[in-house]
Amino acid sequence: MPIYDQGYRRYEARAPLRRLRSWPITREALRLILVKRAFLGLLVVSFLPFLIRVGQIYVVTRFPEAGRMLPVDGRLFGEFLNQQIFFTILLSIFGGAGLIANDLRTGAILVYLSRPLTRRDYALGKLGVLLALNLAVTLVPGLLLYAVALGLAPEPFLHWSQGWIGPAIVVHAFVISVVVSFVALAVSALTRSARVAGLAFFGLVFGLELVRVVLQQGFGRREAMLLSLQADLQAIGQALFGLPPTGPSLHWTWPVLVLVLAGLACVGVLRSRVRAVEIIT
Amino acid sequence: MTEAEESLVSFKDLSVSYGLVQALSGVSGTIHAGPTGLLGPNGAGKTTLLKTLLGFLSPDRGRMTAFGLDPTREPLEVRRRVGYLPEQDCHLPGMTAATFVAFAGELSGLPRAEAISRAHEVLYYVGLGEARYRNVETYSTGMKQRAKLAQALVHDPDLLLLDEPTNGLDPQGRDEMLSLIHDIATRRGMSLVLCSHLLRDVERVCDDVIVLNQGRVARTGTIAELTGPRRQVFDVRLKGDPAAFLTDLRDLGGEWREGEDGHRVFLPEGHGPETVFRLARECGVQVRHLRPGAETLEDVFLRALGHEIQG
Repeated sequence: MPIYDQGYRRYEARAPLRRLRSWPITREALRLILVKRAFLGLLVVSFLPFLIRVGQIYVVTRFPEAGRMLPVDGRLFGEFLNQQIFFTILLSIFGGAGLIANDLRTGAILVYLSRPLTRRDYALGKLGVLLALNLAVTLVPGLLLYAVALGLAPEPFLHWSQGWIGPAIVVHAFVISVVVSFVALAVSALTRSARVAGLAFFGLVFGLELVRVVLQQGFGRREAMLLSLQADLQAIGQALFGLPPTGPSLHWTWPVLVLVLAGLACVGVLRSRVRAVEIIT
Repeated sequence: MTEAEESLVSFKDLSVSYGLVQALSGVSGTIHAGPTGLLGPNGAGKTTLLKTLLGFLSPDRGRMTAFGLDPTREPLEVRRRVGYLPEQDCHLPGMTAATFVAFAGELSGLPRAEAISRAHEVLYYVGLGEARYRNVETYSTGMKQRAKLAQALVHDPDLLLLDEPTNGLDPQGRDEMLSLIHDIATRRGMSLVLCSHLLRDVERVCDDVIVLNQGRVARTGTIAELTGPRRQVFDVRLKGDPAAFLTDLRDLGGEWREGEDGHRVFLPEGHGPETVFRLARECGVQVRHLRPGAETLEDVFLRALGHEIQG
């Protein structure tokens, strides 16, 4: 049929702009990520520590003497969330590296920014993807684990003195997810290649962790912990859940300060890179 | 209706720069309802004008209004009424055309169900109905251009901004794309700005034209006004050395430029073909071919740019 004869309907019912304009961006990006089987596999694997911890709680409730080797108290949740940092990093590499890099490569950023969306809407939409993924492996299993603990072992946990555990899980899960998501998104905005972004994020996180280990264990420099994203997040978890430090460490306010500065740097990167027009001066 | 009410976009004394590079310097003009051509060589400032209209760039000086709104202050309101087909490739990796266009509609504020329904309609309209469930990455250049047009149309904008829509297309693809744009402008009554360096594209689709060169407006008006019978134009082929003929023509107030087969001669008002024969006789050359012609947009364009036409 010639194109002249094909219909085109005018659309007059223009609705007011949505309040949450970033939602379609988050939803579509999540849909595209979650159709990948390998990614779903990674999500499933990231729930294995949860199952192990459930097993630990079950064993201790059945055989209380096992509690000497595997103590079940508030610290269990801090240890669990600190372990999950590793999975948030993996999920952010495989799910987040291409979030902005691909849009810069394919010119799709213009599709977004020529719409009634601000650059902030766009960045929030993309950030929402990583936050959803990271909260799915921190907050969700953390709270589930707490519910399991309350169900299986009400005596130690169903007590006013243990009321801090729930809020601490929420706070630590959010701190981990927000920080990892922000850094992964900023790294994705720095390049037009998802592969380069993934490698850069991997290098940044694990490279700095390696430097920290060398400096701390080789030279006894406790301030080296500030270099590592994982160590900083773990230090906050240790402070929240009263865990003993794993090595020489600083007061928890130092890692908080470093993470706030890292967050500001990420905002700066996103502001300069998420643009419809690239201005080279 | 006053001119201000009729105009969709107006800009006055508009200057825009990228760092130290001045892209637009003090341009003024009006874009009325209907198809308007934005013409100029690469680097003339066409895309910069569109990006300023979309609120991507803030003017250093001057003022622009679109639908009575300032794109710098109210970019979202302007963008929801505008559809933009960018010059460069743009698609969302991993998406079929149907998903891509529906998603674009949703981003423009359409409810999800309406966006999906309109995406299918628009994809049929641009001729991608059968291929709408294919991934856009697998499309040919022509199909990608159509998909880009569909995403610009899906929310039924009041003004369509088309930045070099025929780039990279073969002659048939180009013809089909121009037919489609012409149909949008005429039968669907949508206003559009066709930004191109290809004169024939603009000539085929647009009524009004703004010629930009080196960041300034070189000419503006309707195509009829710019190409109207203000001057006598002839395509002339001469036998012999044409130098003296062309010098005499210039002395008479005429102009000329090299044509495909001979010279294109522009005579001043009041002169006709007899002047060509007279000058040829006086200069000792033979007129082997003389064909009357109308001043084309290309002539206007070249004259506006101030080169190639001799005189």
